[in-house]
Amino acid sequence: MKAIVHKLTRSNEFYVFLVIVALSVVIQARSGQFFTANNLVDIANAMVVPGLFGIGAFMVLVSGGIDVSFPALSSLAVYATTRVLVDAGYEGALWLPFLLAILLGGILGAFNGLLTSRIAIPALIITLGTASVFSGIMQGALNSVQIPNIPTAMKEFGTGALFIATNPDSGLTSTMPVSFLLLVGVLAVVFFLMKFTTFGRAIYAIGGDESAAERAGFKVKRVKFWLYVLVGVIAAIAALVRTSMMGQMHPTNLLGIELLVIAAVVLGGTAITGGTGSLTGVVLGTLLIVIVQNSMILVGIPTFWQRFSLGVLIIVGTGISAIQLSRSRKRSIVTV
Amino acid sequence: MKQRRFKAIAVGLSLAVGLSLSACVTDDSTSAEGDHTIVIVPKDSTNPWFVRMEEGVKAFASDSGLNVYQKGPSETDATMQAQVIRDLIAQGVDAIGVIPVDPGALEPVLKEAMDAGIVVVTHEGATQENTMYDIEAFNNTDYGAFIMDNLAEAMGEEGLYTTMVGHVTNASHNEWADGAVAHAAEAYPNMTLLEAEPRVESQDDGEVAYQTAKELFKKYPDLKGIVGTSSFDAPGVARAIEELGLTGKVFVSGTGLPAANKEILEKGLVQSLTLWDPADAGYALASLAAKILDGEEIVDGLDLGVVGYESMQFSSINPKVLEGAGWVVINKDNVDSFGF
Amino acid sequence: MTDLLAVRNVSKSFAGVHALDDVSLTIGRGEIHCLAGENGSGKSTLIKVISGVHAPDGGTIEIDGTSHKRLTPMAAINAGVQVIYQDFSVFPNLSVLENLALTSELAAHRKLINWRRMRRIAEEAVAKIDFDIDLDEKVGRLSIAEKQLVAISRALMSDAKLIIMDEPTTALTTREVDALFRIILDLKERGISTLFVSHKLEEVFEISEKFTIIRNGRSVATKRPDELDRASFSFYMTGREFEPAHFNAPADSGPAVLEARNLGADGAFADVNFSLRRGEILGITGRLGSGRTELALSLFGALKVNHGEILIKEKPVVLRGIRSAIKHGIGYVPEDRLTEGLFLERSIGANAIISEIDNMLTPLGLLDREKTRTEAQRWVDELKIATPDPENAVNTLSGGNQQRVVLAKWLATEPEVLILNGPTVGVDIGSKSDIHTILQDLAREGMAVIIISDDLSEVIENCSRVLVMNDGRIVAELDPEETSEAELAALMAHDESEEAGVQR
Repeated sequence: MKAIVHKLTRSNEFYVFLVIVALSVVIQARSGQFFTANNLVDIANAMVVPGLFGIGAFMVLVSGGIDVSFPALSSLAVYATTRVLVDAGYEGALWLPFLLAILLGGILGAFNGLLTSRIAIPALIITLGTASVFSGIMQGALNSVQIPNIPTAMKEFGTGALFIATNPDSGLTSTMPVSFLLLVGVLAVVFFLMKFTTFGRAIYAIGGDESAAERAGFKVKRVKFWLYVLVGVIAAIAALVRTSMMGQMHPTNLLGIELLVIAAVVLGGTAITGGTGSLTGVVLGTLLIVIVQNSMILVGIPTFWQRFSLGVLIIVGTGISAIQLSRSRKRSIVTV
Repeated sequence: MKQRRFKAIAVGLSLAVGLSLSACVTDDSTSAEGDHTIVIVPKDSTNPWFVRMEEGVKAFASDSGLNVYQKGPSETDATMQAQVIRDLIAQGVDAIGVIPVDPGALEPVLKEAMDAGIVVVTHEGATQENTMYDIEAFNNTDYGAFIMDNLAEAMGEEGLYTTMVGHVTNASHNEWADGAVAHAAEAYPNMTLLEAEPRVESQDDGEVAYQTAKELFKKYPDLKGIVGTSSFDAPGVARAIEELGLTGKVFVSGTGLPAANKEILEKGLVQSLTLWDPADAGYALASLAAKILDGEEIVDGLDLGVVGYESMQFSSINPKVLEGAGWVVINKDNVDSFGF
Repeated sequence: MTDLLAVRNVSKSFAGVHALDDVSLTIGRGEIHCLAGENGSGKSTLIKVISGVHAPDGGTIEIDGTSHKRLTPMAAINAGVQVIYQDFSVFPNLSVLENLALTSELAAHRKLINWRRMRRIAEEAVAKIDFDIDLDEKVGRLSIAEKQLVAISRALMSDAKLIIMDEPTTALTTREVDALFRIILDLKERGISTLFVSHKLEEVFEISEKFTIIRNGRSVATKRPDELDRASFSFYMTGREFEPAHFNAPADSGPAVLEARNLGADGAFADVNFSLRRGEILGITGRLGSGRTELALSLFGALKVNHGEILIKEKPVVLRGIRSAIKHGIGYVPEDRLTEGLFLERSIGANAIISEIDNMLTPLGLLDREKTRTEAQRWVDELKIATPDPENAVNTLSGGNQQRVVLAKWLATEPEVLILNGPTVGVDIGSKSDIHTILQDLAREGMAVIIISDDLSEVIENCSRVLVMNDGRIVAELDPEETSEAELAALMAHDESEEAGVQR
């Protein structure tokens, strides 16, 4: 028991959890709306897309890398998918949009994977570059415009409800989207992958000490390559969910979300220096950001201060990582 | 090692540069005999908005019998737009109507054109100096009032409402919203502005508009309407209305293109949206150039021969700017009639 | 019975430079062997050849009677050779359990992880050396000795016949060294051989059964311990006769130029007292992590002190940073000159004069080119920096010559106190002696010098006084003429907590 308490208090996740609880209580006190069925469903709904992106960002961070290209990557993959299907007048089932998006996401991810595993440039620089290339292809070569009508299968998937929560007082109804299952599913798969496969442990090992991983016999380059492919696939799924739920394809809708996603993951305790982090932390960090994002009006924070608050959260999130970084550097100076 | 890094960077750079250069100027000029040659230069010839504008330009060509056509860069790029204009000067056209990507960047080339004796008019370029006249589809305050009229009609002229803008820093969105609020105060005594949240942001993002609207309706159960401004606002809010089961109880209005909003209009989630038709603007712009070439005097009440532009008024602020009343309403009945 | 390992006439060169030249080495079963040599003598290259990382240009390697022409890392491991690097090659972010068991999961080409099986494997591994540890603890939280034991346990898992350990005792306390030696002896009982790699005699002298000493890429001697003493060992290592020389400070050189009173920095060192007069060379020695580097940085204003005071010429001063230290006449030659001291891409001349650049300006505030050129040339001549032209980039120089440029840079500020942290780490023998001569000359001319070093012979031969640091405190002040390397080593390694009965 004591050991569990000790372990808990040493983990980032525990503190994020406490913050979430405190925040929820404050929001409830100020609005009386937080702990209502429909509001909780709304928050779950809003978590799906950032949560999926967060899972990908988490995996890359654990490996000691960083990926800022996933919004551009996934926008390109899903824009191309939607464009092709709409132009072809596709009226079929959902598997084809998913297959196309996953394929394209994987191919674009492979591009990231090749560059990061073969060239000795920091992943940040590489993915900044590929992000420009991806959005360049989308906006330049594909001439992206808003696509108002997406294939019926996608639309039905986007509006499909697992259940509908009704607020007994106001009568307002909120839809728990089918895509929430997708978030749960991807979480489960990635949890298994990270915990019970040599591939997942290799990601942790590489993040801990890349040269030690090489010496221990891990195929570092191969692992990195497939990691970025996988992250591309997850990102494409996230963007497909966003497009389906919006019922329209807005090509630039996701650009810029990377800051928020990475801040959420780091808030949840994933080290920006690589090697440590948990999916629990990813979920909690994302939950925290989503709650803040979706409770400003409930709490009554004026419009001007809403972005300020979110900015503070991003600074705290990325600030934690900066402190981690300087600490680890200090440690290495002292032991030299 | 170092060598290899440099190489990698070089490859990356050239890739990026190559991509941005891959777009080049398209040429869709048509040559015909006529007294005058008038060319309309849009921001981007591939953008559906300007594709629609070209229809108006063509309509004016057949109405007037003049040699009028549209020619623009293949992407929204000020440098490429300047190049198009430079080519037109070299060809010796009589008039150019420009929808500037960046008014500042076009000043030198437009001055060149005017120095060469070419008639220069602009649209949506109120700050342009080297132009003879700039026409605007409408006055921002009046447009805001018009949005309000549409929302008020849906709301039955009574109830609590608020306004949504893309960003609180966006000048025209805020002028529209201000115009709407001022008009409501004057014309609809039973409508009240939500004082706690008089202006929210959609960040020009349909998802944010959706989430924000959900929060608003949760927090303020009496809220009955939202004045939308950006084209992302109404579709996002409509999504929230549908999900929360508020269809027919709360309303949203705003700017939007017909094709993008066909579904929410037909479902009745949104009663009506407003916009200005780029085809009309194209027609009016070409028409203005022709009138100048014919030596007509440009005065208040000028008729450019297309609905909304029949009685142009000089702006009270800028003597070069002519304002029309070029807005239209789209609703479920006429949404299919626009073709864009 | 044949030898376990026989390296015969191995040569290896990199870009035309001989790293190994006709080197031979044999290790018997269960033998504890020490490979000794100065930095840069070819030790690490030899280890890499034995472990299959580098393919030799000539010669053969025989393991367990099988001759290998081309040894790959995998083949070496399969033949039973395991290397424990100085950094142990562990994953700090993973548990002990995973650090131990992952490798075997990989070797078995498993795709899925079975945590129960991994735990069993890890338990067996630590049991082999009676290593009592929480398998779920993150390796990053372990002490250095425990990390080393994790690495040893891991090495033993794959049927190791030869364990190669690179500088294994450098960062250990006496008690930890004893524990390590007990394990090594136990391995010997089981017929497992150990090869220590070291550049110091004291470290593994008591346990090694045979020494192979290499110098400049050649094996110069293979001896039993009873055939070696300090003098002969140094001779084999350096190729020079060992002359027990000492440096004596002038009898009375006036008041202290630098004094520390109860100086302390949280988490680094505490209660440090000493004073330094003109013409003295003060040695400060201690192990890695003893606080010696932090003390040096504090005296140079690069690390904040929380307690006590620093006096310069009997006046208390607060060093707010490097600039203020320079202003007070303190110069500092850092430990890692490559990262801390030099602009490698810039010219030798520019580096040498960088700290006196304020004096090189014309009345208009521009750089006086003529003046900088003569000044640069002066330093090159004075410090015998081997270069055809001071305009060449610093990274064209050898390690010893780079160190001289760093010296020039600090001497140019005309300091009254010069602090050197590990002044000859990674420097070849010839340059080492030259640098020592320069330092002694500087002291004779009246400069006060502090040498921080764990090279005991360097400290004893060059200093007029030696302070020994252990666990952040000064534990002894000694006269080099009346002490020995053995005594210093014992003081440095002494585990304070043992005596006090404190549980770690």
